Amino acid sequence: MGGGPVRRPTNTKVMSNRRRSVISGLGVLSPLGIRRGPVWEAIQAGTPGVKAISTFDTSSLPVKVAGVVTDFDPKMYMEKKDRKQLRMMARPIQLAVAGAWLALEDCQVDKTTLDKTRFGVLYGSCMIPSELPELAEPGKLCVIPGERVVDTKKWGVEGIPAIQPLWMLKYLPNMLACQVSILHDAQGPNNTITENDVAGIMAFGESLRILERDRADFFLVGGAESKVNPLSLSRQCLFETLSQKNDDPEGAHRPFDQARDGTVLSEGSAVVVLEEYEHAKKRGAGILAEVGGFSAGFDRARDGKGLARVIRQAMERAQVSPGEIDHISSHGQGAPVTDAWEAAAYQEVFAGHTIPVHALKGQTGNMGCASGILELATAALALSTGIRPATINCPNPDCGIVVTSRHATRMEKPCVVKVSLSQLGQVCVVVLKAIH
Amino acid sequence: MVQSHMMRSNRRIVITGMGAITPLGLNVADTYRGCLEGKSGVGPITHFDASTFPTNFASEVKGFDLARYISDPKRFEYCGINGKFGAAAAEQALADAGLRPNDPCGSKADRTRFGLYLGSGEGITDFDGLITNIVNALDSTGKADAKRFSENCLTVFNPLHEAEQEFHTTPAHLASYFDLQGPNFNCLTACAASAQALGEGMELIRCGDADVMLVGGSHSMIHPMGITGFNLLTALSTRRESPQKASRPFDLNRDGFVLGEGAAMLVIEELEHAKKRGAHIYAELVGYCSTADAFRVTDSHPDGRGAIACVKGALADAGITPTQVNYINAHGTSTQVNDRVESLTVRRVFGEHADKVPMSSTKSCLGHMIAAAGAIEMILCVETMRNGVIPPTINYDTPDPECDLDYVPNQAREATVDCCLSNSFGFGGQNTSLVVKRFAD
Repeated sequence: MGGGPVRRPTNTKVMSNRRRSVISGLGVLSPLGIRRGPVWEAIQAGTPGVKAISTFDTSSLPVKVAGVVTDFDPKMYMEKKDRKQLRMMARPIQLAVAGAWLALEDCQVDKTTLDKTRFGVLYGSCMIPSELPELAEPGKLCVIPGERVVDTKKWGVEGIPAIQPLWMLKYLPNMLACQVSILHDAQGPNNTITENDVAGIMAFGESLRILERDRADFFLVGGAESKVNPLSLSRQCLFETLSQKNDDPEGAHRPFDQARDGTVLSEGSAVVVLEEYEHAKKRGAGILAEVGGFSAGFDRARDGKGLARVIRQAMERAQVSPGEIDHISSHGQGAPVTDAWEAAAYQEVFAGHTIPVHALKGQTGNMGCASGILELATAALALSTGIRPATINCPNPDCGIVVTSRHATRMEKPCVVKVSLSQLGQVCVVVLKAIH
Repeated sequence: MVQSHMMRSNRRIVITGMGAITPLGLNVADTYRGCLEGKSGVGPITHFDASTFPTNFASEVKGFDLARYISDPKRFEYCGINGKFGAAAAEQALADAGLRPNDPCGSKADRTRFGLYLGSGEGITDFDGLITNIVNALDSTGKADAKRFSENCLTVFNPLHEAEQEFHTTPAHLASYFDLQGPNFNCLTACAASAQALGEGMELIRCGDADVMLVGGSHSMIHPMGITGFNLLTALSTRRESPQKASRPFDLNRDGFVLGEGAAMLVIEELEHAKKRGAHIYAELVGYCSTADAFRVTDSHPDGRGAIACVKGALADAGITPTQVNYINAHGTSTQVNDRVESLTVRRVFGEHADKVPMSSTKSCLGHMIAAAGAIEMILCVETMRNGVIPPTINYDTPDPECDLDYVPNQAREATVDCCLSNSFGFGGQNTSLVVKRFAD
């Protein structure tokens, strides 16, 4: 298996007035492991990452499986002088900060050579769940056990002082990107896209546009999320289609498979380095892939037509034809309805071509906005190594599509299309190209 | 900070529609008039019993009823209040632009080239539900038992209400309701969010990703968790004896900001697209920049490092010099640090000309609408250019030696204004500046 990098697409007309962007690093903490090396190994091996939840008692919940980042010690991913900041960071922020640290390490940049004002940070971010102990103390003072209302009069006097002063800062969604910018003195563009599962790739698309318009040269683009806790999991159980294959955790997330019954919540952090091509070349960076194009839209009817349009636009911008695409890096929610309209878009755009679909969530579960970035990075790694990743948990593909085989194989074509979507219809697409 | 403009697109972006739901009015005209009259939107908090909170007042939206704007408000029933404010302001802005799906122009417009970029806040946490679920799950050691807590959540929380708290619901509802099939973004960079949404929305048109965008923000943090969080950070004014005097930007005796709420939406459009359909053009959006302080989560950089780069970047993007700016709508939150650093920033960038540029904070009247603040302030800049009257900074009684600019104290002022700068600085260090100009072909 393997067999060297993929050839560069032949008809790439590099537009003379467009700054080129490349992916030159990855930091990752996921249910498949921590750091690029081990995670890429696990992806190639098709190792399942979803497990029975052991970190808390799930016996009253219909869902008992999830993907968890194990052996995570946030202190390992920051300088000693910065560790006191950790008390201001809920778990998703800690994961985000660790991902950024690993991405910078992975891309081997000498930070002192970066122009700080052209060093940007963009993150996708979601709701950060309250940590229960912090609210238990004030709660006890203001609620009569068994009652279902809080005495806000008491809360004002006794509750508020029982909470630590910087409490709110632990939970603001923009703190992922803020903390990263502070730790690495990144004074360039800084934004936080809050849009559920598409947030990571939307942040990537916006970074790409900023880089193209010459407002930055170097970006950390990431997503980090953790829904594996009693509050997030029970909330999600109330309104999300979640897999209840509790007796088969490793097989629970089944993207596009006929037996799929919902998504599996997971946690993680993924951060890529997005860099201007000449900037990367000058410092001798290890380039994984070139970014060909980005497009975003809204699939109003959720029938795949909107997604198909956005895929076509992204390919047009990248000047890539269906024949040049090796595989699609899909969203693969694992939910009956969502996978169907996602697949309908592929059937429409790629009719007459057999382009296999890769669905990483079968291995990782749904890491929310972090999944998009990890999937994009996986596509970049595939392009740089010539290895097409496997899709697990989809022995019987539904919806008329073909998934990548159960074992990693050799890539045949020089481009990958990455799709990200939310169940409400927000969609976005990135086209990656081999660089060699 | 800004290196070159070789990548600068030549597509021009104009404002063709505006809508607002604010503490001073349920539309743009009333809001602007309220500011000119120096009214304060502040009063006792009515959303919940905040009587014993260190801050028991806020600037609330009054008399709001979604049914007056939307024909089937039912579909927004479980949305957070920010979604409802957002829907009403969006309806106004799109109607104003003539670009609702059924308007003559709207039905002809390519809806796939019509996107949305919001700085829309979170839905509101079920405070009673969350806290009582925890308390009712405490074991003998005082810790919440996961099994009992989860059980409580499943029985107590309303599924529809919980689903609507997720951040992507408001942009999805608006895109679905108003048929906006182009790029669909939502950012939440605290107090800078909707200014950043405007700027990035403008860039989406500039680079050709869209021809028309609905941009703006909607937010309310006037809920127990919001007031608790800001009170703990000592960011809010606690002037309980005279709430309407509490928001006093640049005044020596300022003691924090006052929470506001609401929504502000704009339709921005590529110039040729607007001209072709004969749209009314309010103004041209000409400059945008965003930077990070990269300093501390709690404070702005004391020397205004990020803010200075941001204002300079926006002026450069607009291709103008400081002397061309006739009015600055300040971030002006009424906190000690912000107002001092912002004054210093303008002084540094504008030099001597700083004394000649009126700069007011409309947060003195409206309070701080957080994620919606930047968008309403842009709308007030546009109204200022159209009407030739600058809204005042009210409650300005005692000058602060460290804030030495012309803040248009207490009285609206007539002036010819052709170009405005609007600043927004977010908690955590995101800075955004926008430049808007009177439109000239």
